[in-house]
Amino acid sequence: MVVKIRLARFGRTNKPFYNIVVAHARTARNSRPLEVLGTYDPIPKPDPYDPSGRLHKDIKLDITRAKYWIGVGAQPTDTVWRLLSYVGILPPKYPRAGSTPAATASTASQQQQQQQPPSSQA
Amino acid sequence: MPPRLPCSSPQPQLLLNSLEQASASAVAPSVALTPLRRRPSASSSPSASPSPASASWTTPRCFSTTPARPETKLRREFKEWLKKNEPVIRRPAGEVGSQAKPGGTYVTKFHYGSDGKSNPFPNNPYFVSQPVLSERARNWIWYQVMVRGQPLKAVSAQHGVDVRRVAAVVRMMEIEKRWEKENKPMATPYARALKQMLPMADLAPNEGPFEPINDIHVHSYTMQQLFVPTSESRQFTRADAAKAFGEHILPPDERMRIPELVDYERDIAKGVDPDAARDKFVKATAESEKALAAKLRAAEQKAEERRIRVQTDRFEFRIEKINSEEVGPKGRARNAVGWRYGVPHMDRRRGEHKIPTSVGM
Repeated sequence: MVVKIRLARFGRTNKPFYNIVVAHARTARNSRPLEVLGTYDPIPKPDPYDPSGRLHKDIKLDITRAKYWIGVGAQPTDTVWRLLSYVGILPPKYPRAGSTPAATASTASQQQQQQQPPSSQA
Repeated sequence: MPPRLPCSSPQPQLLLNSLEQASASAVAPSVALTPLRRRPSASSSPSASPSPASASWTTPRCFSTTPARPETKLRREFKEWLKKNEPVIRRPAGEVGSQAKPGGTYVTKFHYGSDGKSNPFPNNPYFVSQPVLSERARNWIWYQVMVRGQPLKAVSAQHGVDVRRVAAVVRMMEIEKRWEKENKPMATPYARALKQMLPMADLAPNEGPFEPINDIHVHSYTMQQLFVPTSESRQFTRADAAKAFGEHILPPDERMRIPELVDYERDIAKGVDPDAARDKFVKATAESEKALAAKLRAAEQKAEERRIRVQTDRFEFRIEKINSEEVGPKGRARNAVGWRYGVPHMDRRRGEHKIPTSVGM
């Protein structure tokens, strides 16, 4: 049975909030997963007291567990692939010319990633 | 998904009951649909040849074809009351005539008495307003904190204003000054009206303290009667008393907002020069605020270390590293990351307060 890393939608009407979960592919979207790797809040928010008005999105992620699940062949969905590529766990699936995101605060995980490419999928 | 149509709610029926029967003019089609009125004797004077477009529209055009909403009884009575009392209300507040007849004006000047209470609505004796900080007082607080760099606690102790209120005043003044720079419109008429209606505190030296500043919240654990056996020779302090009530109960000295005031009063009682004691107090408060700021900064730095910021062309993604295995023995720990499984959400649980009862600091 295929194990996927995918999003489970919680939240309310017009106010989505996602759990990043590891689950069997054929189980229901919001059923109890194998593991919750983190959360993804897709609603962009400004910083309080920030006059620039630049928006950010919050993600919580257990990077170690995400790497483990990728390593044993879990298949991320496109959206999760994009989120994982931000921390360097996976290479970007659809790289856009001239707009490769770069981690500014910490690049340690990227360096580790270059040393240990994800193993082939089971 | 929550139900969107409250079927059993009594609200619509209540609303209907409060509405009165629509008047004939309200139901009639609006001006836009009525036929044009002809000017009388337009043909009798040969010199007058007004253009029909400008002359026949004596009333302003109305583009709405929907009938006006029926007026409620309350609103009609309020209008009647306004009409009846118009001469009294239009008289400026504080005039000699209105002084002679108490309760004559709807909006009065405040009478800031020694009790610090005021009654902005003379017809409603049950509404008693506490004084609010005047413009001058707020400017003074802002000046002392932001220009002279005084600690918040020292400013609070000096004027008898709660330290939370001092902080709020500084924040609000900063916003106001920023808006002035950005040329944003201010609600000055509203502020002026409030200023006339409410008692103002100027924080003048003869006014006394504005409010109690060092009150302690009474914890419910400390409301019980407790018998603790202890030896006669033992010194039983307030810290011991707090421990007796509960392990997490703090003694009053640690719970008060400005514990430095205790040392200050002790110094005064010991006969230390008041100026020297005050300097020492200001220094101590500055130290404690510095320590608090350092603590907050360290916490923020620690959080920042766990965070990865990724800039994309649209948004910044802030990825916080977590440990997904801290979910408790049953996987449902309250502080675990993510939406909880197998637990009804707060919206759907019964007997829970959903309206916040306090604003967090």
